[in-house]
Amino acid sequence: MEAVLKNVGRTVELLAVAAHSGVVNEWDEQTVTRAFHWARYCEHIYSRFHGNPVIRGVLEKQLQLTNHSLKEALPEYNAVSFLDLGRCQDLLLLWLLNNSALPISIMKMLFETKASADSTSSNYEDVRGLCSQIIQCKSACTVLRPLLGVPPVGADAEVQGEMLMERLGSTLSQSSDPLRAEDFLSSVLQEFEVAAEHLCPVIAAALLTTTDSAAQTASQDFLLDWLQSRRGTLQHVCTALPSKVLADLAKRHQKFRDAFCKLLKRWASEMEYRVTEGEWVHAATSSAVSFQKMTEHYLALFEACPSLRTEIEDELNARRIADGDFDVRGLSVWGDILLALRK
Amino acid sequence: MTELQVQQTTAHWPNVQEMPFWLEKAIAWGQTDTPHTWKDISLHLKRLRDFLQQLLTEISSVSSTTETLNRLPLLGQLLGRLCWNPHVTAEGASRGLLLQCLLALYSEHPSNAVEGKANQWIQKVLCHLATDEEDGAAVALMKHLAVPTKEYHLNVLKKMVTRIQESIGNSQCSVSSTNKGCSCGSVWAASEACVPLITCPEASPLIGALLQQQMTCIREGLSENFLGALHSAYSRCDLLLDEQAVVSLWYQSLPSLEEAVLNLLASATAAGSTPSKVEEQVSKSLLPKACAQHCSVFLVVNDIFRTVLKQTERNERVKNVFQTFTKCFFMELSRLQPQPSASLKAFFPQSPPSLLIPLFTMPSEMPQESLKNHLMWVSSSLQRLTEEEEDEEDSDSGNIRGNHKVFEAWFLLVQCAYWVQVAVQLLVTSGPEDCGPLLWLLTFYHHPTNRWHHRASQLVQAKAAWDHLYSLFSIVAHPLPADHLQSFISLLAPKPQQPSLAPSLTLNLLVNFATFGQLPQSTSAEITQKVVHQSGLQDEAARVLSSLRLRLNDRGSFANDRVHLRIEELHNTIKKPM
Repeated sequence: MEAVLKNVGRTVELLAVAAHSGVVNEWDEQTVTRAFHWARYCEHIYSRFHGNPVIRGVLEKQLQLTNHSLKEALPEYNAVSFLDLGRCQDLLLLWLLNNSALPISIMKMLFETKASADSTSSNYEDVRGLCSQIIQCKSACTVLRPLLGVPPVGADAEVQGEMLMERLGSTLSQSSDPLRAEDFLSSVLQEFEVAAEHLCPVIAAALLTTTDSAAQTASQDFLLDWLQSRRGTLQHVCTALPSKVLADLAKRHQKFRDAFCKLLKRWASEMEYRVTEGEWVHAATSSAVSFQKMTEHYLALFEACPSLRTEIEDELNARRIADGDFDVRGLSVWGDILLALRK
Repeated sequence: MTELQVQQTTAHWPNVQEMPFWLEKAIAWGQTDTPHTWKDISLHLKRLRDFLQQLLTEISSVSSTTETLNRLPLLGQLLGRLCWNPHVTAEGASRGLLLQCLLALYSEHPSNAVEGKANQWIQKVLCHLATDEEDGAAVALMKHLAVPTKEYHLNVLKKMVTRIQESIGNSQCSVSSTNKGCSCGSVWAASEACVPLITCPEASPLIGALLQQQMTCIREGLSENFLGALHSAYSRCDLLLDEQAVVSLWYQSLPSLEEAVLNLLASATAAGSTPSKVEEQVSKSLLPKACAQHCSVFLVVNDIFRTVLKQTERNERVKNVFQTFTKCFFMELSRLQPQPSASLKAFFPQSPPSLLIPLFTMPSEMPQESLKNHLMWVSSSLQRLTEEEEDEEDSDSGNIRGNHKVFEAWFLLVQCAYWVQVAVQLLVTSGPEDCGPLLWLLTFYHHPTNRWHHRASQLVQAKAAWDHLYSLFSIVAHPLPADHLQSFISLLAPKPQQPSLAPSLTLNLLVNFATFGQLPQSTSAEITQKVVHQSGLQDEAARVLSSLRLRLNDRGSFANDRVHLRIEELHNTIKKPM
């Protein structure tokens, strides 16, 4: 453990040098390769221990010490957090490229482009040509993106969902305390209060990824439980996503199906009939659910899970009867839903 | 559009005139992102690369960035805009040139404010290109999950490739309504977009899928730029495609197919190629497979062979390639169709139909006793055909059609020359009564017409050669009659006054007699050695012997150990210096 702490500390110092020191002017290809090697080492440490509270704590303490001493030596230094360790290579590259003392030879090496198709871009050990490969990947994605249209859950969201599942899985496996994983999910969400609509397709994709192992199923289960416990998030997800995606989720996960049906009923019960508009409208303005959207949700649900139809229709009918058993529009939301569904 | 003039002197800066054109283009490309924009970009990509290469040369030849920027004030704008165009940066060569241009403008020791600012700008651009610092929610999430940039984008790329492949596989052309656009438009758009990605390894499954898409639409096809770019990459051996994709490429891009065929011919007839190497090259080339799958591909290949043959009639190596190719092609065809003979007419529309099935029946598929009769029939068919056409020729001297029928029949025979080899072998065991038709066939193979090749007189010489060999190899007495041997050798010598018999004809006869004749091994070897060395035809004799050996190695040939031993001995004899 001593050795690990020392190595991590040294690497953070290396990062600071890369960012702010004129010494990089003397770096050659070998030095840069070694620097990236150590950055990879830190990434590895992060992925092994990020869910382990004890070791994480020790590492964070070390970082605190290193950050402190670096700040004293270099006033312009930006502290490196534990989270940053997980993407140490990116940080190293970013800081190197921003350092005006970086020699032109290193830049040329990093941006070297092989025109032939032989270049294997999956070789993570290679620093030569690294930046050119990144540009190729990013550009290729931008070129291909319009060809996919605007699906509700795009390729980006799908990959993000898969990565979310991977991280969640490793967090769950590294600590027996479920609180760590909850903290992890909460922190992810917290960062994106503003970009919540972006997260919704990601969560959907995460829940729709095919699971090959018990561990993956457990992760999905954990995410579902967490989602159900956070009413606000669940509601947001059900508002933001299109009917088809929600229906797929319901088909795949019993828990989601139950929660979704419950939510639909709650929304319906909160609706008021506006005589002037001749429409049912949701009382609270915070959730933008319309009557039409709700019926669309139900219809999509029936298509994905045909067995649900009779069950739900019976329930709706029971509530309609409890409301007075009227056949006239505008008196019972349940009756009107049934009418809309039977059209 | 003015053609770019390449000037060699550095005092000239022709790029100053081209610069506004390219800047305008770069601005236009940045404004819209439609399939037509992509088409314009891929149309200009090659020229843009050439322009960037010139820029790079000129920037590198000037020592100070300040001076470069003085001469080319629009340079920064142009490079900057091009850097933000993913269609330009996705393509390997243009990305490389663009980056090199930027780095060439970087000053190691900036001497003034302009150069300092330029340095800053260059670093900023490079940093933005290679890192994700400014990109929105997606990347922020990945940072939070601690996923490295490269890994993330690589995974997204692979996922997109898979998804687009699926959607292409599902798209079908609905010919029902002429008003509704069919989804083939999306295939065209995809092919146009993928032009910069042709050499990107992760995109190669998509490129392959686009090529193999069944293009049933009348209106839309794969983009011309796409096929052209594929062809260029293919010529540079820069393409990563699986077998079926290559076959599809040939099917759709005539230039690529032609290039493949000519490359094969060149390598198969290069110095040092042996008959067994040729067979290996031909079957590895995928061309026989492609021909078997697509009749149109075969017709093109055959046409190329036809043209080449007309120019190199006496080149035995070339003829050997055709024969090998046909054999491989027929094998592939048999794999695809249970009754390959049924479709032969479609593949050989110009050949005499009655000869197709007889010539495409492999000698190994017939019982040994029937071979001679079969060949007799083939020979007499061909004789009839040539007589008919030559009669026509004599009676109608204004006939400009030429020996078309005869040529096609001969072309077919050249492609099925394994039957000629069988004929030569049978000539060893024939007597004077029945050697006629077989000799005619052999002569016809080497000298098809009377008018241009003097077939009739060559036949006389061929008969003389056969007579000599027949008597040489039936005399058991020792020593060899020297004069007999001498007169045979003289047949091989070129004569100034009259056209000479093709040496390979005579050598073929000799080699077969030596292998299959009744004389003891040593005598046969002695005769062969004397003939070959005195006429100086070692190489040709060795080639003929290798062909014989290869043919006998085929399954179904009626050779035994004794024969193989003789061939080995003969081979050593020929190679031995006198």
